[in-house]
Amino acid sequence: MIRKELVAASAEPLILSLLAKGESYGYAIIQEVKARSDGNLQWTDGMLYPVLHRMEHRGLIKSRWGESETGRKRKYYSLKKDGKTAMAKHQEQWSMVHSVLAGLQKEQYV
Amino acid sequence: MFDLEPAIANWRQQMLAAGIQTPMPLEELESHLREAVEQQMRSGVNAQQAFETAVRQIGRARELKFEFKKTDNSIGARFAELTGIAWGVIAGWFLLWTLFFLFTVHDVNWVGRILGLQAIVSTGLSWRYGYLVLPVIRHRHIRTMIGFACCTAGIVWMGIFVKLILPSLVILPTTVDTSPARLMVSFLWAWTVAATLASMAHGLEKAASRQDQHAVS
Repeated sequence: MIRKELVAASAEPLILSLLAKGESYGYAIIQEVKARSDGNLQWTDGMLYPVLHRMEHRGLIKSRWGESETGRKRKYYSLKKDGKTAMAKHQEQWSMVHSVLAGLQKEQYV
Repeated sequence: MFDLEPAIANWRQQMLAAGIQTPMPLEELESHLREAVEQQMRSGVNAQQAFETAVRQIGRARELKFEFKKTDNSIGARFAELTGIAWGVIAGWFLLWTLFFLFTVHDVNWVGRILGLQAIVSTGLSWRYGYLVLPVIRHRHIRTMIGFACCTAGIVWMGIFVKLILPSLVILPTTVDTSPARLMVSFLWAWTVAATLASMAHGLEKAASRQDQHAVS
């Protein structure tokens, strides 16, 4: 299981990257993250919504109320222009951290 | 026999009592809850178990409120916060000044001092423990309205006291003690009434918050 701090830090870049594929809603975002991480990235479901609201407040994403296939109300989120810029920055920074870690790990085995 | 709809209605009440606002974000959380319950029931889990798991996964109301509060930086929320701080500073300064006045500056007799102190202690007790005797009002909007009404009543009462009652005390016949010390003790008790009304607003919030704490723990 991944540490809580890392889960929290990765929430925004993950949400932005998922929404870059198309609009989605809270439950689906959580399920996709869970599936892609083989259950290692576990969010407390309710905690996603304050993060989404903050991102919307900052103008990174936008939302609209729609309906599910069964007619239930659902709130869909999609990426805004500033969100795309923020996602690019996040990806650049996380790639940098990853490359530093990978480099150090490689040196240990040389 | 477990019934899903009353269980969801009860969960909504707990969220409302904790200060999770409606229609947003409570509607969104409820939509998530229903989705999670439905998905689990489709995979063969019974309704009660599915509901309990979904509620647990959504998380505790107080923690959610804390997280949502970080988003709520609207002008209204900031104004309310600043008003609260300003009110606290004014009340604290007033009480310190009153204590100083009661015990040092003027020639107040012991009866006056005790009465003055009683007023101050009553104010403090109503603020600190008032919630213990107040009812739990679960609906946030109703609580806010009552709180607003209490604060308004406190301000109106002080206005009436200063404009109407205090002047009539000053022009009383000379047989009645209208010394500055006595007037001040009267003012302190009038202030206590206003502060108690404000304490009711504070106490209603605290009572609801404590109820929620018990409900989710």
